[in-house]
Amino acid sequence: MSNDRVGIIGIGQSEFRSRRDDASYPELVREAVVPAMRDAELDFDAIQAVVYSLSPDAMVGIGNAERLGVDAVGGRNKPFLRINNGGATGISSVIAAYYHVASGLFDVVLTAGADKVGECGDSQTVLNKIWDPSYERPLPLGTINMLAMSAVRYMNFYGMTEEDMARVTVKNRRHASLNPKAHLRKPVTIDDVMASRTISWPIKLLDCCPQSTGGAAMVLASERFIRDNHLDAVWITGVGHSAETYWMGDRMGNNPTAEHAGAHALGRSFEKSYRMAGITDPERQVHVAELYAPFSNTEFHCIDAARLVAKPGDSIARLRDGEFELGGRLPVNPSGGTLCTNAIAVTAMARVAEVALQVWGRAGTHQAQGARLGIASGNGGDHQIFGTVVIEA
Amino acid sequence: MGLRIQPAVIGCAVRPVIAARNRSLEETIYDTAQLALRDAGITIADIDGIVVAANDQFDGRSISVMMASGPVGGVDRDIMSTPSASEHAFIMGALRVASGQFHTQLVVSWSPTEVSSMQEAQRLGTDPYFHRGLPLDEMSAHALQASALEHAVPGARQAAEAVAAKNREHGRLAWPDPPLYPAAGPLRWPLTPAMTTAPVSGAVALVLASPEFVTDRGLHDVAWLRGMGWATEPGFLGDRDLSTAPALAAAVRQAYEAAGIGDPATDFDLAEVTDATPYTELLAYEALGLCPRDAWLAGSTDGSFARGGRVPANLSGGVLTWNPVFCTGLMRIGELANQIRGKAGAHQQANARCGVAHAGSGFALQYQAAVILAREPRL
Repeated sequence: MSNDRVGIIGIGQSEFRSRRDDASYPELVREAVVPAMRDAELDFDAIQAVVYSLSPDAMVGIGNAERLGVDAVGGRNKPFLRINNGGATGISSVIAAYYHVASGLFDVVLTAGADKVGECGDSQTVLNKIWDPSYERPLPLGTINMLAMSAVRYMNFYGMTEEDMARVTVKNRRHASLNPKAHLRKPVTIDDVMASRTISWPIKLLDCCPQSTGGAAMVLASERFIRDNHLDAVWITGVGHSAETYWMGDRMGNNPTAEHAGAHALGRSFEKSYRMAGITDPERQVHVAELYAPFSNTEFHCIDAARLVAKPGDSIARLRDGEFELGGRLPVNPSGGTLCTNAIAVTAMARVAEVALQVWGRAGTHQAQGARLGIASGNGGDHQIFGTVVIEA
Repeated sequence: MGLRIQPAVIGCAVRPVIAARNRSLEETIYDTAQLALRDAGITIADIDGIVVAANDQFDGRSISVMMASGPVGGVDRDIMSTPSASEHAFIMGALRVASGQFHTQLVVSWSPTEVSSMQEAQRLGTDPYFHRGLPLDEMSAHALQASALEHAVPGARQAAEAVAAKNREHGRLAWPDPPLYPAAGPLRWPLTPAMTTAPVSGAVALVLASPEFVTDRGLHDVAWLRGMGWATEPGFLGDRDLSTAPALAAAVRQAYEAAGIGDPATDFDLAEVTDATPYTELLAYEALGLCPRDAWLAGSTDGSFARGGRVPANLSGGVLTWNPVFCTGLMRIGELANQIRGKAGAHQQANARCGVAHAGSGFALQYQAAVILAREPRL
């Protein structure tokens, strides 16, 4: 294992909105790249390689749209490749950039991307095409009814109620109201959520993430480069991925390979990240978490999988007690999270960026006080491919 | 800087044409991955990371890695995908081994032909405002490049015709069943039927391992990664001089610096290059330092790059023999690995000890990569 650490030295995020008719797709990428470069105090000549973050092409309506982003990220005649792990793409791109540096081949690597989910027409129509064309696509499956099935099972196993789901939305909207980059910033009440229309029971409109448009970028560097250039950084000390079966039916029934109520592979990915970072008791060692939860119910099983509670299902009572609020014992999604902003290609990168800002002490109005060690996660595909990182000050 | 840990290719399965109609895409991917693992003498239990590459538009899926996860053994494993190019999956796999966090990587790419119109699928990859309406597809971009080269380099056309004839000749030896050289469909001037090949379904898989794994398992038939480089040109064709390949030159510089290549004409025993058209093979000769453009015609007609020549190029027959569009780049790396490991079969080059693979993809080969593999880990 490499002895040299990999640090984050620059972060950029655009503001996330429903539409950005004033910005083309490459311009949106550029909006995130420029502040990231300014944050890193570097010019483009310093960037040795680029990892491009883009999930389904159909969201932007251009096949291999990363090709049109080359100049936006300053990638011309440089090492450049794209990652697509579905919704996990953003965190997988950060991890890919991490491997670029950890391999010893590069000192400074940029990862960046953007998405126009809010302008794709209907993301569920695009996302239906992720499933098998013969068996699952005609049902029709979408990511909402897929995770509604997870919610029903979680209710059955652990006693989650629709009001518990609403509490997640209320918490995250309150957090998002403090985050100027977030898309949905209007605080809501439990009654508001309960009164919103049912999309796929038990998921209601206000239990759902928005379709967002925006970009994100991060600059990673080797410890040697950071020291030599006297740069400020936070450190990636743990990374991991793991995947579940593609087939929804194999996660349900009497003997599932991985129970759909939970997030088995997310837990496996966290195990790897924690082992790498030397974390043995995440419940006590983790100070802040940005967990990819596009629907309110999924935040519970993400907290379980990250072992921020003693056993699965404990997250329900702990959330009721306010432990995961800003100001609570272990703030979860202090940015408002995926539930308030979801530009799919970079959503999981935003999770990493937000945790980095937290442990750096630079999260501004949504800062978790005293956070020195944080975790982030991303979910891709049909709740199938998971990526995780640990970041320390 | 160089890689902290030097990966080796320990297994490979190159399936440039898949004609079996009774196998689904999932089964084809499974078969190919298993062949590579068997070639390495290991099982999926020995694999701790996977990188795959496919084109969503060709596959007809929004996120191809999802379906592939099962067939390649991705369940409960660390899996990533690089849909930008098949060769990028190799690069990502090598970086992961070099990071010290993996002992092994399974790298898999595939390219089906079931899409109703490959030209339309490619056209969706163009800018929607300026290029899509032309209409532009990969054949058109290759033709524009060929035209630019014919204008810039006297004798380029004759050189290209000689390269095409050479690769077809190599292809006849490489594959026991004579290739059909299917017509490529509507052509674009100045490309001719002899310079293009119709898409076929194909798949390729490689297994990479750390030196520690190679030693622990007592593996000998390995190809060590001496150097690799990759780069991209801008997305708009109008921003490029198609008679040059600056991204390939940048990629080659990276690879040669890492491998300590001083004189490619003598350091390499063979080359596998992406001959999407013979013109791209000529550009590769120049960028790889094998033949300057003013000597293309002489070099292409004097046997220098033919079997038995100075640096045989595309002993496999190249893309001009089989063209599984998306995975041709990784296939070049796989073919080189097989040569270095002495497992190339009918087209094996005797005493192949060090070679270079050029992998290019996209419109007029926007993405470029160079990979150097050798029998010995160091010079």
